[in-house]
Amino acid sequence: MEGVEPKRGKFIGQRVKRVEDPRFLTGEARYIADLPIAHCLSVAFLRSPHGHAEIRSIDTSRAAAMPGVVRILTASDLESLPPLEDKVALAELKKTPQLVIAKGRVRFVGEIVAAVLAHNRYVAEDAADRIDVEYDPLPAVTTVEQALDGKSPLLHDPLGDNIVYQKKFSHGDVAKAFAAADHVFKATYRHNRFMAASMETRGYMAHYERASGRLTAWGSTQAPHMERLLLSSYLGIPEHKIHYIVPEVGGGFGLKFPVYPEEIITAVLSRMVGQPVRWIEDRREHLTSSTHAKEQIIDLEVAVKSDGALLGMKARCIGDAGAYSFNSTSALIEPMVAGTMMPGIYKLDNYDYEVMAVVTNKTPVGPYRGIGWTAGNSAREMLFDEIARALHIDRADFRRQNMIEPDDFPYTTCTGSHYDQGSYQESLNLALKEIGYADFLSRQAELRGQGRYLGIGFCAWVEQSAWGTDAAAQSGLPAPSHDNVSVRIDPSGKVVVSAGISSHGQGLETTLAQLAAEVLGVKLEDVRIVHGDTDSVPFGMGTYASRSAVIGGGALQKAATQVREKLLKVAGQLLEADPQDLVLEGGRVSVAGVPAKTLSMADIAGAAYFLPSVRTEGSEWLAATCFYDPKATYSNGCCAVIAEVDVETGVVKLQPIVTVEDCGTMLNPMIVEGQTHGAIAQAIGAALLEDLHYDETGQLTTTTYMDYLLPTTTEVPNMRVLHLETPSPWTVMGIKGMGEGGLIGAPAAVINAVVDALAPFGVEARELPLSPDRIFRLLRDAQSRPAAPA
Amino acid sequence: MTLADFIREEIGLTGTKLGCEHGVCGACTVLVDGEAVRSCLMFGVQAEGTDVMTVEGLAPDGNLHSIQSAFWEAHALQCGFCTPGFLISTFAFLRDQPNATEEEMRIGLSGNICRCTGYQGLIDAVKSLSAKGSNG
Repeated sequence: MEGVEPKRGKFIGQRVKRVEDPRFLTGEARYIADLPIAHCLSVAFLRSPHGHAEIRSIDTSRAAAMPGVVRILTASDLESLPPLEDKVALAELKKTPQLVIAKGRVRFVGEIVAAVLAHNRYVAEDAADRIDVEYDPLPAVTTVEQALDGKSPLLHDPLGDNIVYQKKFSHGDVAKAFAAADHVFKATYRHNRFMAASMETRGYMAHYERASGRLTAWGSTQAPHMERLLLSSYLGIPEHKIHYIVPEVGGGFGLKFPVYPEEIITAVLSRMVGQPVRWIEDRREHLTSSTHAKEQIIDLEVAVKSDGALLGMKARCIGDAGAYSFNSTSALIEPMVAGTMMPGIYKLDNYDYEVMAVVTNKTPVGPYRGIGWTAGNSAREMLFDEIARALHIDRADFRRQNMIEPDDFPYTTCTGSHYDQGSYQESLNLALKEIGYADFLSRQAELRGQGRYLGIGFCAWVEQSAWGTDAAAQSGLPAPSHDNVSVRIDPSGKVVVSAGISSHGQGLETTLAQLAAEVLGVKLEDVRIVHGDTDSVPFGMGTYASRSAVIGGGALQKAATQVREKLLKVAGQLLEADPQDLVLEGGRVSVAGVPAKTLSMADIAGAAYFLPSVRTEGSEWLAATCFYDPKATYSNGCCAVIAEVDVETGVVKLQPIVTVEDCGTMLNPMIVEGQTHGAIAQAIGAALLEDLHYDETGQLTTTTYMDYLLPTTTEVPNMRVLHLETPSPWTVMGIKGMGEGGLIGAPAAVINAVVDALAPFGVEARELPLSPDRIFRLLRDAQSRPAAPA
Repeated sequence: MTLADFIREEIGLTGTKLGCEHGVCGACTVLVDGEAVRSCLMFGVQAEGTDVMTVEGLAPDGNLHSIQSAFWEAHALQCGFCTPGFLISTFAFLRDQPNATEEEMRIGLSGNICRCTGYQGLIDAVKSLSAKGSNG
């Protein structure tokens, strides 16, 4: 397929400083906890301290007697409320209805047992402590193995077992491929459970006005219209009577996409008392009750020839979904995507895989940057390194040999992912060249001789983006998805863009303004982006799955182009010229070749609104709304890492990281780099530190930031991002979404660098993360130990 | 009442953020008598008689402080939630160590967590200020 040229313009592709930054820099930005609402009551939740238990009794009398307590809710107060349930339409997927307040039984530490509404948070929390609950603890199911053993207790009796999904898929002729193999390599990987842990925790606010029957709801969330839709269905309030507002959001990363019990309860309480009600999550609640992510057990078998040719693969991806198949995207969010996307950037025709999801007495699993891809990619890339080593083939050559090549595009994987265009080989080669791969390998042995254990790891990735209907289907999680954007020029000639996508750190107010300014020939400061408000913006599905730049940007470009045509039509009438002869730039429209015949945007807009000779009946002048549901498009990149392991302590030190990123036409390279940096930092946490750990009773033991370790300035090294631009032939302006790639590819790069560093010890890494204690144990148990340096 | 809650709820200055409320994330960092402290770990009454500066004090007249400008230039923020704490920590750090090495900067700012930027823009911003040797 012929490539298309990346788009460049006065604004598009430029390093424009973010227009939203001043309010964040001055403390003026208001997040949900900062919104000044008079007479707002506070909610606190009493949560289960047990992983699995029957609730024998609840006595709220001591709490209710406390001054300042307004209302206490337990499950019996919410009998009429429907349970939360995922909307994924797959016949084999069993449902696990989740009551917003547990009734009879609790299934994970952190599950809500009661809610207290009080005049302030201090009173609400103290009152929650005075609710007396008697539990009969039950044995807990805390591992996939227990969930499958047929002896452990059931979490949801109607299911008959703890399996919510199990299905086998087959592509090509795997038996034949394995029969023809010189070698078959097998491994089982335990991928860690970790989470988005946004800096701002969750928070919701609701104000129900009884006389009008209207609900205004605020949420630190990612998808305002979806929140409205789901609140409507759970609360029975019609959508048009719900106004959903998303204030500033302090990070989401997928975690703030679903609807949670706390949000429903906050709205229910406001409806009960007719007053504004707010709940702000604390960090301990965040770690126990916001969705966890990524935990899977992945079995892989790979058939290869001795020369490194990849013949076939078998995979079994088992997702540990926690206590419920969570209402947003179900228990399949991890294992289905891991299984479906396992071929990655490789030419793999023969592939069998099985997808399973089980429930355990742990926090439910939800979306987090790189759903499914992170775990699948890490497992495959760890095994591929082992295969290359065993075959004595250079690890990069093994990838190159089996990788999709430039002439192969568009390429459809055996599982049905349709890759548009990419720079897979080029990104790998560039990243390895820039990090000095060959030079490093030549020095590695010498360094080992000095007692220094350094290793190199890399991972070229492909990243699905533009989560519309097509992308969802290709992931194996079918659901319609699309977006609308409105563009309007006001009577003074300034531009207002209303977008269904919403920003929570991605800089959309800048990138969307760049696009609008480009198309409409105005200054950046003459554009305002409105988002996060269902009363002000057209319907949209929200910001997640690297979809906003492609879908939101594409819808904006289409709408702005229509407005531009309308603008030129008006200007043509005013200037008595053919619109085709007009030039639009710098906020003015002029007749080509006759610079004296010129009008400002304000002149034209004023006339369009107020001059009867220009106005016409019909569609709105100087405004347009466009809908966009593009085909999936795939970004790609490669991350290369050099790690040094202190073999006495197990501590890993990373050298500066090189990453190549190719997201097609870039709107703003600075923002692309920022997204890449952030995702790689999360990848470092994923690979080396972050682990949500449960003991055998189902107790989460990592409930503070002293136990759940996030990377800081001293764990994250400098990062260099290099750009390739291979525009998509299938999207508006060749834009591809990005932002997740760092957490898809970089974990494998970091892991494989560490494993490479430890290669002389013959360690077998099968469990993640490679935290210092795990590395220490791996070394202690290692089969071989090289002689101490002389 | 914690100092953080007092600043946010009684005074109404909501620029100071609460990220963990147990003294690890640094989002609530303010200056108390010039010392960078975590306002979630201190009671409001303990600040009686002290001079407290929050992020709102960096640009009292509306003109951005040089640290704020450097953060803006270097794309040192994304969601913005950790930004006030980082700004205050950077203010104290550069005042005390105006000519720090990068390693000293990284150690000096390791008490603040950012989940968006990977710290690259933040370190670039602090470097740009340190090279100038200026803090005001």
